[in-house]
Amino acid sequence: MKFKNVAATGAVFVAAALALSACASSTTGSSTTASTASASATAAAVVSTPDASLTGTITAGGSSAQANAETAWTAAYTSQVKGVTVNYDKSQGSGGGVTNWLAGSYDFAGSDAPLTAAQQTSSQANCGTGGSLNLPVYLDGVALIYNLPGVTTLNLSTNTIANIFALKITTWNDPAIAADNPGVTLPTSAITTVTRSDGSGTTQNFANFLSATAPSIWTYPATNTWPIAGTSAQKGGAGVVQAVGAGAGTIGYADHSAIGTATAATVNKVAFSQAGATAAFAAGATTVPTTTGDLSQKFDYTKLTGPSIYPIPLLSYQIVCTTFKDPAQAALTKSYVGYVASTQGQQIAAKNAGSAQVPDSMLTQIQTSLATVK
Amino acid sequence: MQSAPTSSSGSSAKTTGNTPLGGGGSKDSAATKRSTRVRPGDFIFKGLSTGSAVLIMVILAGVALFLIISAIPAITADWSTNDQLNTGPTAAFPNFWAYVGPLIWGTLWSAAIALLFGAPIGIGIALFISHYAPRRLASILGYLVDLLAAVPSIVFGLWGIIVIRPFLLPLSDWLSANLGWIPLFGGAVTTTGSTILAGALVLAVMILPIITSISREIFLQTPRLHEEAALALGATRWEMIRLSVFPYAKSGIVSATLLGLGRALGETMAIALIISPAILVSVRLITEGQNSQTIAANIALNFPIATTLQRDALIGTGLMLFVISLLVNSIARFIVSGGSGKRKKSKGNGKPSMPGPLSQVPTGDAATVLAMDAVGRSGRAGVVDTEGHISEDDIEGAGK
Repeated sequence: MKFKNVAATGAVFVAAALALSACASSTTGSSTTASTASASATAAAVVSTPDASLTGTITAGGSSAQANAETAWTAAYTSQVKGVTVNYDKSQGSGGGVTNWLAGSYDFAGSDAPLTAAQQTSSQANCGTGGSLNLPVYLDGVALIYNLPGVTTLNLSTNTIANIFALKITTWNDPAIAADNPGVTLPTSAITTVTRSDGSGTTQNFANFLSATAPSIWTYPATNTWPIAGTSAQKGGAGVVQAVGAGAGTIGYADHSAIGTATAATVNKVAFSQAGATAAFAAGATTVPTTTGDLSQKFDYTKLTGPSIYPIPLLSYQIVCTTFKDPAQAALTKSYVGYVASTQGQQIAAKNAGSAQVPDSMLTQIQTSLATVK
Repeated sequence: MQSAPTSSSGSSAKTTGNTPLGGGGSKDSAATKRSTRVRPGDFIFKGLSTGSAVLIMVILAGVALFLIISAIPAITADWSTNDQLNTGPTAAFPNFWAYVGPLIWGTLWSAAIALLFGAPIGIGIALFISHYAPRRLASILGYLVDLLAAVPSIVFGLWGIIVIRPFLLPLSDWLSANLGWIPLFGGAVTTTGSTILAGALVLAVMILPIITSISREIFLQTPRLHEEAALALGATRWEMIRLSVFPYAKSGIVSATLLGLGRALGETMAIALIISPAILVSVRLITEGQNSQTIAANIALNFPIATTLQRDALIGTGLMLFVISLLVNSIARFIVSGGSGKRKKSKGNGKPSMPGPLSQVPTGDAATVLAMDAVGRSGRAGVVDTEGHISEDDIEGAGK
């Protein structure tokens, strides 16, 4: 009866294969348009003109949050540099992207979190003593989407959000929610919080926000996996959006570029906008370098106040070596990442993937850091 | 058989006959007797099939080895102080066993519910196909059920999300309102339908093909004589099935069910999509926040984000799944081979026993006589009409 054992083995294989293909996809924005680079190139403050004579293949992977933007960047970049192929594997997720990149399989990794100190150290094996650079190239916001029949606008303050997601506020007509929404008739139904069942940079960014702004209410660790049971946990941003759409009385969080037609609540009376996320970056992000030239960012959420600043930004990085083993790959990768970190590249992502633009001041710094890569 | 190459030239084999091989053991001489000429095709085919058999063992051993080697660092680590393991998906667990325990429970629990729904329906379909349906309908139905096996599990997952979850919502509400005092239906009732009940129902549909096709094959192998004897003695269709088909197919049904269980244990994508999981031990069926996570779905959900040691931890849970699957298959094998006492017969043939139902090759006259005896003893051979005339004793007698 060995065939049964083999069936079991096969099941393990299948599980592994599915795990590999189980991307934490969270973006659904249109990305098919290979908008020609010249369309929006006017008035670009940070310009990076790729060398059209380059040839080769860039292999990369990681964060699924920036996958749609990568598709847009790749299409625009390869329309200018026809000899280059860019393969970005979003099925790996941030963790897998960094793992594969550390192993030397990728030219750059896409990650929703910068390298940890330990990862920075181990990257020196492949990247030389200079280590590696975290380059913040993708900016978006975490949207709070809800499904409450009869309630078309909903405003939530920071503390209320923390209470809801810590499962301390459990009904929609709670006084705290009512206080945030004067004049709105709230139902008496229970709140179902919808979270991610898979590890996700969206969760990481949202948890960062909660633990920084409401530490007395949100006492859980800020990690990439939702820390508390009792929520409706769904796979992928699309799963969260689907579950919120299907169940009345639900509220969940997702990348703003992925929410589709779902209704998003305003946070401290600020609705998400691409400009709002960019303003948040400009106002609250500070560089915390892990090595020379590194641009790891840390948000000071207390500074993200005001009517034009969206309080829950989402940031994702491209991570590259300071010294590539192969100079040709270094030139290719610098060319591509440089294009991504140009005003034009950011505009293309904003248009085709719905993300926000990283401010030009940061783009300039990225270009400066990138210039040291060899 | 290793001496075969020496006689590979056809002429020597022909002229010297069996004599050089005489001392090589009875098997060799028997083989040579059957075909005095050894053709290249024999070697090639034997090599290919032996190679395939060896390859399977190597792959199995390789997978086991990979799982064990990868899992050891995570199993032996101190999870509370290790900075890779005390964050992200593996945070809040003091060690590997605290992490994998609830996952094992969730895996077994969801598979058990799936089996509860899937096995009776699967066996029912098989019985309909083999004994009730007109021939044309039976073949179409059989084809359709087999087709079900070809649907990718991600499609089942999407079907579960979009159709089954909303479909079960009214039932969940009703169960919670009326039977909420039973722990199974306790807890806060779901609003999106993302429950283990929905997941297990989809899982039940997914294991139907395997249970149905295997059961059908066994039912069809029931000796014609048994069935005709039962019918001739006045049994109704149902009594005939109870007296001749079920006893005959008992161990085969068990093995079909356990194969279905194996499928359910390893199912990943549909579960990951449909169920709202949490790593805890719970029997609740219709809540959103208290569904036990399964091992396979947990790996699929957390593998992409996992760091090196977290991956090792996930692979460790995979090792546990591997062990569970082996156990389930071993139990199935034990039941099938040990339950009926027919093992000796198949061993006597000198061949490895065939898996599942095929080891239950009809025993012919003895069993037929037994069944006829059983029915005959009731002394109602002439009674043709209703059900219920055959007493419990008779059924047990036939089952022996």
